[in-house]
Amino acid sequence: MIEVNNIYKKFKLSRKQQREKENGKTKIKFIQSVDDVSFKCTPGRIFTLLGPNGAGKTTILRMIATMLAPDSGSIKVAGFDTGKQPGKVRENIGFLTGTTGLYARLTPNEMIKYYADLYSLSKKDFEKNKDSIFNTLDINEFANRKIGKLSSGMKQKVSIARTLIHNPDVVIFDEPTTGLDVLTSRNIIKLIRDCRNQGKTVIFSTHIMGEVNMLSDDLAILHNGKIVYSGNFESFKSEMRSKTIEDEFVRVVGGAS
Amino acid sequence: MKNMITIFLKEMKEVLRDRRTLILMIVMPLLLFPVIINVTTTFMMKLEKGAEEKILKVSVLLNGNKPGFEQKIRERKDMSIEEEVVENKIKNLITLKKLDFAVVFDKNFDNQVETMEPADVRLYYRSSAEMDISKRRIDKLLKKHGEELLNERFARLDIDKKVINTLNIEMNDIATVKEKFGERAGGLLPYMFVIFCFIGAMYPAIDLGAGEKERGTIETLLVSPASRFQIVMGKFWVVTAAGIISALLSVTGLFVSIKMNTQIPGEILQVILKIIDIKSISVIFSLLFPLSIFFAGLLLSFSLYAHSFKEAQSIITPLNFAIIIPAFIGTLPGIKLDTVTAMIPVLNVSLASKEIISGTIKAGLLIEVYASLIALAGLSLYFCVKWFNRESVIFRAE
Repeated sequence: MIEVNNIYKKFKLSRKQQREKENGKTKIKFIQSVDDVSFKCTPGRIFTLLGPNGAGKTTILRMIATMLAPDSGSIKVAGFDTGKQPGKVRENIGFLTGTTGLYARLTPNEMIKYYADLYSLSKKDFEKNKDSIFNTLDINEFANRKIGKLSSGMKQKVSIARTLIHNPDVVIFDEPTTGLDVLTSRNIIKLIRDCRNQGKTVIFSTHIMGEVNMLSDDLAILHNGKIVYSGNFESFKSEMRSKTIEDEFVRVVGGAS
Repeated sequence: MKNMITIFLKEMKEVLRDRRTLILMIVMPLLLFPVIINVTTTFMMKLEKGAEEKILKVSVLLNGNKPGFEQKIRERKDMSIEEEVVENKIKNLITLKKLDFAVVFDKNFDNQVETMEPADVRLYYRSSAEMDISKRRIDKLLKKHGEELLNERFARLDIDKKVINTLNIEMNDIATVKEKFGERAGGLLPYMFVIFCFIGAMYPAIDLGAGEKERGTIETLLVSPASRFQIVMGKFWVVTAAGIISALLSVTGLFVSIKMNTQIPGEILQVILKIIDIKSISVIFSLLFPLSIFFAGLLLSFSLYAHSFKEAQSIITPLNFAIIIPAFIGTLPGIKLDTVTAMIPVLNVSLASKEIISGTIKAGLLIEVYASLIALAGLSLYFCVKWFNRESVIFRAE
C-alpha cells in the first residue's frame, strides 16, 4: 500500500535552467516540481502515473522511494512513513527504471548477492529467491559472466532480478521501458503484470499510451506537478470525450494548462 | 555497520577489477622506484665507467716551453698525445670529437715560472656529463704539475712550505650521516609518498562517486536499506585504503629496489637501510593515515558533486597542483618545520617526514602536525557525509 498525502516539492534551478526560463524582468529561481499531490495505491493493482516529460513523475517516485524528501505532506509505504522510517520503507520496495545501471565489473551472481546482503536476506531466502528469479528469467547461463559483457536484454534481466531479489511488497517502475527494444519491453510489461498477480502494490510511470492501456488499474494524470485526473482506469475510459486515450490525455492536459 | 562492510567489500572488489585504477594504485607505485633507481644507477655506472676507461686524446701546445707536463701525459696509458695541432684549430677539432682536451702553455710560461708569477695555461674541452668525469684526470695532472712548481719555488726561496698555513683548522661536524641524509634526500621520499597517496586515491574516488552517478547505479543503492551514512562511509574507506595501499607499495618498491640493486656499494647500502629504518617509516605512515582520510573526503566530495567521470576528472585534476606544490616546497632546503608550517596540510607531512628521517623531529611539533591532520581529516569526513546527504548534490541539475 502507498498513501501519498498533499506532498509538495520544489527545486532550485541551475543557472543554465534559470537562463532558459527567464521571463522578461522576472527571474525564476525555483520550480514547483510537485504541487499538492495525493493518491493511494492498493495491493494487487497497478497504479499508473501518466504525464509528459517534466510533469513531476520521477520526483514523486523518488519521494516514495525515500531518495528525495517532500517539502511538506506525507507518504506512507507498506505502513511506514518515508520521513520517519526511511530504512523500513526501503526494505519493502523494489525500484526499477529504464535507465537503471548495473556494476559492469561484477557478475550477475555477485551483483544479486550484494543487494541480498544489503537487504539482510538469510542464505536460505537468498538461494530460494535467486533460484526462482534466475530460472524464470533464464539468467543462469550468463550468471557468472561480467555484466559489462552482457547484451542490453541480459542486463535488463539482471536489473529485474536485483529489483525483486528481496521479494518486496511494493514495486516502483519509473518509465521502465525507456530505451529498451520491443522484446525487452515485453518482458518488463509481463513482469509488471506478474507483480500485480502476486498481490504486490505496483506503481509505474510512463508517457507511452499503449502501456497505460495494457497495464493500468488506476490512473493519475500529472501536468506541471499537479494531478489533473485521478481515478479508476475503466472509469477514465468510459468517461472519455475523445476517441483515443492519447486524445483524451491531450484534452485533459490541455485543459489544465 | 554490516551494510557499511558489505558496501566496502563490494567497492573494493570493483576497484581491484578496474585496470586503470590498478595501474595507478598498484603497478605504478610499486614499479616507479625500482625503475627509476635501476635505470639511473645503471646509466650512471655505465657513464662513469665509460668516462674513466676512455683513452683521452690530448694535445699539449708547449709554445717553446719545457716539455715537463707533456712528458706526464705521455707516461699515462689512458691518454694519447695528438701531435701537430695548432691553437686556432683546437675548438674545431674538439667539436668534431677528434680531440678531447688541449692544454696550451703561454709562450711566456717558463719566464713566468722563473720570475715567480702566476704562469698562464689554457685548457680547452667541451663539457658534458661524460667529459666532466674525464676532466678529473686532466685536473689531477695539472694540479700535480702546479704543486711541483710550487715546491720548486719554496726550495728556491728556502722557505718551509708550512708557512703558508696560517690556520690549522680541525673540522668537527657533529651532524650524523642520518641527519645529512634527512636534510638532503629526506624531503624527496615523503614527496613521493604524498603524491602516490593522492594519485592512488584519485581514480577510486572518481569511480565510486561520479562513476556511480554516470552509470545510474546510485539510485539502486539509495533505495537499498543501507543509510546514506553507511553508503558514503563504505565508499570513503575504500578511497582511503586505496591511498594508503598506493603509498605503502611505493615504499615497498623503494625498499626492494634498493636491496636488490647490486650496483649500490655495500657500505652505502648499509647506511641507506639504517637511515630508512622501520621505525622512521612507521612514524611517517602514521602521518599518512590522517592525510589519506583528508584526501579521501576531499576527492569523494568533489566526485559526488560531478555529473560524470569526465566532469570529476576536470574538477579533480587541478587539485593535483594544490597537493604537489606544498609537497614540493617541503623538499626545498631552508624550509623548516615550525609552529606555522606544522599547520599547513601536505607541507607539514613533507617537513615532518624529513625531520623524522634525520632523527631531529621535536615531539611538540610532531603532536601539532598530528593534531592539524586529524582535525582536517575529521572536517573532510564530516563535509563528505553532509555533502552526500544533500539532494542538490546527488540529484544536481545540469
